[in-house]
Amino acid sequence: MKIMTEGKDWRRKMGKLVAVLSLFTVFLAVILAGCGQGQQAGSSSGGGGANQPGTKYPTRPIEFIVPWGAGGGADQLARTCAEKLDKILNVSLPVVNVPGATGGTGMTKLLAASADGYSIAIYIADTHALLATSKPSWKLEDITPVARMIKAPSFLFVKQDSPIKTWQDFEKMTREKPGQLKVSTLGEGSVDDITLAYLAGKGIKVTGVPYAQPSERYVSILGGHADALYEQAGDVRQYLESKQMRPIIVFNEERYPAFPDVPCSKELGYDIFLPQFRSIIVRAGTDEQKIKTLAEALKKVYDTPEYQKFLEQQYATKDSYLGPEDAARMLKQEVDNMKAIWEKKQ
Amino acid sequence: MVEILQNLGAGLWQALSPLNLILLFIGLIAGLIVGVLPGLTLVMGVVLLLPFTYPMATTQAIVLLTAVYLAGTYGGAFTSILFKIPGEPIHVPLLWEGYPMARRGEAAQALGWTLFAALGGGLFSWLLMVLISQPFARVALSFSTPEYFAIVFLGLTSVVVLGTGSVQRAVVSLLLGLLVATVGVDDVYGAERFAFGSPLLRNGIDYLTVMVGAYAVAEVLARLEEGFSSATLQKVGGVKTALPTLGQMRRVLSTFFRSSIIGAIIGAVPGAGATVASFVSYGVEKQYGKRRKEMGKGVPEGIVASQGAATASVGGALIPLLTLGIPGSGATAVILGAFLLHGVQPGPQVFQTSLDSIYTIYASVLVGLFLMSLIGYLAVKPLVRVMDFPEAVTSAFIMVLCFIGAFTIRNNITDVWMMVGFGVIGYIMERYNYPVAPLVLGTILGPLAERAFMTTMISYANDWTVFFRRPVSGVVMVIAIIGLLYTLLSPWLQKRKESPLLNKNC
Repeated sequence: MKIMTEGKDWRRKMGKLVAVLSLFTVFLAVILAGCGQGQQAGSSSGGGGANQPGTKYPTRPIEFIVPWGAGGGADQLARTCAEKLDKILNVSLPVVNVPGATGGTGMTKLLAASADGYSIAIYIADTHALLATSKPSWKLEDITPVARMIKAPSFLFVKQDSPIKTWQDFEKMTREKPGQLKVSTLGEGSVDDITLAYLAGKGIKVTGVPYAQPSERYVSILGGHADALYEQAGDVRQYLESKQMRPIIVFNEERYPAFPDVPCSKELGYDIFLPQFRSIIVRAGTDEQKIKTLAEALKKVYDTPEYQKFLEQQYATKDSYLGPEDAARMLKQEVDNMKAIWEKKQ
Repeated sequence: MVEILQNLGAGLWQALSPLNLILLFIGLIAGLIVGVLPGLTLVMGVVLLLPFTYPMATTQAIVLLTAVYLAGTYGGAFTSILFKIPGEPIHVPLLWEGYPMARRGEAAQALGWTLFAALGGGLFSWLLMVLISQPFARVALSFSTPEYFAIVFLGLTSVVVLGTGSVQRAVVSLLLGLLVATVGVDDVYGAERFAFGSPLLRNGIDYLTVMVGAYAVAEVLARLEEGFSSATLQKVGGVKTALPTLGQMRRVLSTFFRSSIIGAIIGAVPGAGATVASFVSYGVEKQYGKRRKEMGKGVPEGIVASQGAATASVGGALIPLLTLGIPGSGATAVILGAFLLHGVQPGPQVFQTSLDSIYTIYASVLVGLFLMSLIGYLAVKPLVRVMDFPEAVTSAFIMVLCFIGAFTIRNNITDVWMMVGFGVIGYIMERYNYPVAPLVLGTILGPLAERAFMTTMISYANDWTVFFRRPVSGVVMVIAIIGLLYTLLSPWLQKRKESPLLNKNC
């Protein structure tokens, strides 16, 4: 209407406005992309001054790689830590989600960056399990842990109104009809899969059904598409609190304080305890001083009341934190454990 | 009912408080921007804003993120219709329908239809969310992997009929897309496929590189070939009005309801989100709609079908999130993360403990829908003027956006080269009359189909009849197969009918 009548002058003005708008959009895009971009450029050129011992660290943002999707457990840990580390280290820690291949894609990204301490990543038990069950593109020697931030035992959960009342019911049903019960898992070769493989070796044969998305996994129980779910209690907290799911076994050496009525695998005669852990790693070869700086900062994060509350909500153990040396020992031990079970299955 | 209205009134009062309104506005603008930028998906947009929500109260954080999500299903429509850049995979069907309209000089109408569909679809699923969220969530729970597969299969088969060319060429293109989608480490067994030992291929080919390359870059190449001299664009300046009239709306009413229902349901099931909703709804329209013959040439039904379903999926995805704590889509998974970071576990108990914040979220979605439409309406006119610029200038901007977009996907320069590569492939395919749409669709839906299929096979002991035995997946599969057979056989049937009469035309 107006556009038609007011002629060229208006059109020119309009054109200018549009040009400014599009420039603004491009500008914004560059900023948005920039968080990662700056990192990339930085980490590839970081061989110089930053690597010399005695230099102040950190002086620029640290890229925080999460090899999992946004919103999940690994992501929550990274974002909780990043926010607090920001204040302790006085640099920002942009979280980059690089999901895929059970964490393998994110690992590739970490190992492609320089070992200068400006790229750190979340490393969880499921990614670690790949070292025992398949041939991932990295080795244990390629990474150095900074700290283990969280450790929580895994459970088998069933739907609240499931005919499976206890672990004994579960065991009986699997022995009567081997392979009939379906257990939702994270995927082939994951910690979940190793535990199921162990149980199969003891005559408890079930079908492990891999669901890529956590939400699909939970729907499989709530909607009755699978019989049991292998998971940590913190991830299904809302279903436990609203009485939609209940645990039948905890894979732990002792009963878990939060669920005193749930039997542990040890008392039932199953020697399998592969807890979920989430740790923070850097590339091997990173300066020890830098690792120490990071580990100390992470310990400070760990000791904050907010983080302790986070741990409680995740039903994590009290001894979740491990420093660099202990975490390295733990990683080695876990992979040996898993290898032993997995090789027996093959 | 009275209770709902009372709660809603209180929620509206909250939603209209200055702070919430500002957050809503910021969220909508951010959503529109990520929608416009190719490579930056709406899920990424929600993720990018997540850190800003730390210091906020829970409700405000959710209001902000939901606004991004809502507007993210809409923003990409502008670039799809005007420049043939799909800002979001959701808007690929709008390239097929809206872009031809824009080339005809009806860009403003196409954008008007988009606006109508986004508002209408959004309102429809909003009503579902407020009125029957509990029973609706239970429906979503009954869907499992066989249903996911059936839905994605329907989307894949419908594409065979897309484009005007031959069915054979569409199938070739689709299979090529599915092949591209298999590159990399597979989700179920972790097997490497077509990686040839290169870490680059090991990480897979992101569908966004294919989408942006095969559409936007190929389009720029095609224009370059013509020396940027396309004439039709000049007409656009004469556009007076954009919104469809009431009479026009009435004609697409059945399309509208069909797409809204499809969108809400697909949004609510965890395996799929706005993209699948948009494709499936478009496919259903193409196979069973009133004007299916004209689809792909720029008819409003196509726009309403895909955009309506895409925006309706937002409400659909929020339903299981709020009632059960199960995210119905990628974006709601991040919103769930925001809830958890604030120490709130969404689920049935939230309806007891903090009903007011639930209704504030409801109300802000409603306000957000209208505000988004208002922004969209005001933006239509200046944006259409962009078409008046010399093509060479807009094409340069398009290329800039594409490069940024491809880089942003994984902060990886290789993706940029892949995008350029797919641009050339797309250009060559277009040149030799192979439709690009099935290629893009194959790369987007291929991984979803594969994953759902594999999980089903594992879960049901390799028994493929399960797809037909389960009621919902059975119905969807039958619809897909009938549509497929009809398309495959119709040229043959037609030939048989015509051949005795029209021999000389061969």
